[in-house]
Amino acid sequence: MDKGEIVWIEIAHFAALLAITLTVVQIAAPLYGVKSGNLAWIRVGRHAAIVVAVLLTISTVGLINSFLNHDFSVLYVAKHASLDLPIFYLGTAMWGGHEGSLLLWAWLLSVYIAVAAWRHWQTHSTSMPYVLAILGALLMGFLLLVLFLSTPFERLIPPPFDGKDLNPLLQDPGMVFHPPFLYMGYVGFAIPYAFAMAALITGQANEEWLLATRRWTLFSWSMLTTGIVFGAYWAYYELGWGGYWAWDPVENASFMPWLTSTAFLHSVMVQERRKMFKTWNVFLIITTFALAILGTFLVRSGVLSSVHAFASDPGRGVYILVFMMVLLFFSFGVLTMKSDQLETNISLDNPLSKEAAFLFNNLFLLVATLTVLLGTLYPLAVETWTDSKVSVGAPYYNTVFIPIMLGIIFMMGIGPVVAWRKASIAHLKRDLLLPAVLAAIAGVGAGVLGLANFYGICSVVVIVFVLATHILDTMRRVRARMAKNGSSSALVVLLQLLGRNKRRYGGFVVHFGILVMAAGFIGSGLFQDEKNLFMSPSDKIQVGDWNLTLKSVGTASRHNWKAVEAVVQADHKSGFTVELRPQKRVYNETSQPTTEAAIHTTWFEDIYVVLGDEVKDNVYSIRVYRNPLVVWVWAGAGVMAFGVAIALMQGRIRKRESLVG
Amino acid sequence: MNKKKQKRLFLVLTVLVVGGALLSLVFSSFTGSLVYFYTPTEIVAKGDTINGKKVRIGGMVQEGTLVREAGTLKIRFMVTDGDNLFPVRYDGMLPDLFREGQGVIVEGVWYRGKDFIASSILAKHSEDYMPIEMSQEGIAKAKESILKTMQ
Repeated sequence: MDKGEIVWIEIAHFAALLAITLTVVQIAAPLYGVKSGNLAWIRVGRHAAIVVAVLLTISTVGLINSFLNHDFSVLYVAKHASLDLPIFYLGTAMWGGHEGSLLLWAWLLSVYIAVAAWRHWQTHSTSMPYVLAILGALLMGFLLLVLFLSTPFERLIPPPFDGKDLNPLLQDPGMVFHPPFLYMGYVGFAIPYAFAMAALITGQANEEWLLATRRWTLFSWSMLTTGIVFGAYWAYYELGWGGYWAWDPVENASFMPWLTSTAFLHSVMVQERRKMFKTWNVFLIITTFALAILGTFLVRSGVLSSVHAFASDPGRGVYILVFMMVLLFFSFGVLTMKSDQLETNISLDNPLSKEAAFLFNNLFLLVATLTVLLGTLYPLAVETWTDSKVSVGAPYYNTVFIPIMLGIIFMMGIGPVVAWRKASIAHLKRDLLLPAVLAAIAGVGAGVLGLANFYGICSVVVIVFVLATHILDTMRRVRARMAKNGSSSALVVLLQLLGRNKRRYGGFVVHFGILVMAAGFIGSGLFQDEKNLFMSPSDKIQVGDWNLTLKSVGTASRHNWKAVEAVVQADHKSGFTVELRPQKRVYNETSQPTTEAAIHTTWFEDIYVVLGDEVKDNVYSIRVYRNPLVVWVWAGAGVMAFGVAIALMQGRIRKRESLVG
Repeated sequence: MNKKKQKRLFLVLTVLVVGGALLSLVFSSFTGSLVYFYTPTEIVAKGDTINGKKVRIGGMVQEGTLVREAGTLKIRFMVTDGDNLFPVRYDGMLPDLFREGQGVIVEGVWYRGKDFIASSILAKHSEDYMPIEMSQEGIAKAKESILKTMQ
């Protein structure tokens, strides 16, 4: 390093140290302000929060700059980058390892805190001191980890000439976007969590905290959803085993907070409307946030690779355990101490009501969470307390999840149309009879057309049922409005309806996205074709409606990798032809080969070709998958994101109106 | 019992029945799908107790034991934990990480006195996710013993 050059990593390190010092102010000043009644101290806390966000931004930029400058005197950079690494991955390698991704987490949290402090300052002045203190404590907890136990700022002197390079599997756009989105989701739940805690502490635990944080929750949920889907997409394109979800503990870790936050999004409506489920909602947000933290730690602590490896670095392991313990004791402690505020004398006593529908929605989602939690933590427990090691196979999840998924989707058809308090049988008939008939016809039709799978038929039935309830309900409302107003066209009225109640119809769009995705799960999960074979150039194979011909096997290269590349021509029976080029790559800095599957995507199916080893002279092992409807999974996620965007546009002013219906 | 109470009872019962059914599904499929992990040494020690069960066996692919049958994907190799060798047969496409001298986990049903036929060979996302038996400690131990046998 030349003299006079800016040492970004030292700036980054210093900024982070200043930030952690200021979090003390962020915690102490607002609390002192409340105690002394001097509002100026609370303002000091807010300023501290904003400065912390600025400092951590500098810190993050500093680390990214160290990557961009190839500063291998930074151990973390030397471990996760090389001179050959393309600039796009150089800029994003910051979250390619544990240490940097924890800094990313802390940075996102600090930015969220600053935004929350600014947005809710006027509207939630009573809660604000506690919100600042709680979030400050969380941030301090994370920064302690980043600075002292898992630090990306460590220097490596003398610096090596070149770095070890980013893991080739991570050199993929899917992996670039997966962690930030996931973290934007995880971290976002800190805000509703802090508001819930503050509401309990200040004794204002009515519906205010839910309304204040509705959009935070929804935004975080959509980021988490997107993050998970990016991860699945990456697994599908990069790992070359033909699937996108393997019930790996790393995947499960992100799925659990998704399940509980989905339950939360639904059950808050019951509290808003009927003042019930109060304790339950606090429980759900605590659980969601705790699972988000658990997810980060499970993936980023190394505990999943081995409990023993984790224990071999006792500092970090013990710290993480203590952090989780403090979080859980504090949260559930506050909930228990203050639970008298949450008592309600309204009881849920009608099985035919929206409340009951939400109750079942929550029941299914909670059992799903428990299923994943058991499968993820049981092996860790066994390894910790016995000499054995055990793994839980995918069949467990598949057996349990398909019925649960069908149940949740079925409830999705009931929930939106059934009335609050007490649904009349006449209305239920009006809303559900036709969808039920249509669903039955679709089920029979699918069976007649050759769908010979029980779960496949069940899925068709519930998907058609839900689709029909949503469409019929919307049509009925459009018609009613047209009858009232007269003139305008159906499309205009539909848009007016959507504009008047963005939350409800945004929700409908999200539900529609879920249906599309479910169709994708069922199609690719139950009807995948797989062929393993040996091919020499000019050999052919038939997969579904496709004829594949191995044309040739050659080589390909970029500046940072070399590959064996097969050219496979795929001819569809319709006459359509496409060329696929699966590769086996070897990156310069690592000798480990990686598989690059070649995929041709259509709305109906994917053709997925993987090149294996050369088993004999000019004979290659080739694996071909036909994956029906995979693209529906990604498309469904896009639809869901669109739905959330609609729902997010609804401001708080309209909240009373939005509840009608 | 009045009507309101009846309805409430009905609701509570439905929740209990549905929840109970789901939970029993969870636990019954859970116990059936646990796969235990052993090292080659543990397999020798356990013997009969795991005969006919699905197991995972982890260790390192012993250098010089990998035999490929030309023109097929069939392979044979030995998995070692440094103390014992465990023969494995496999027929299928190998994961990218599979190599002699590297860590591996093989899964399959183990029958006493028969060759172990792996139904799958596992490769995780990266080296980071490997069990300790296959990672630094295990590999170092195995290397040590290989050196010993060469002396």
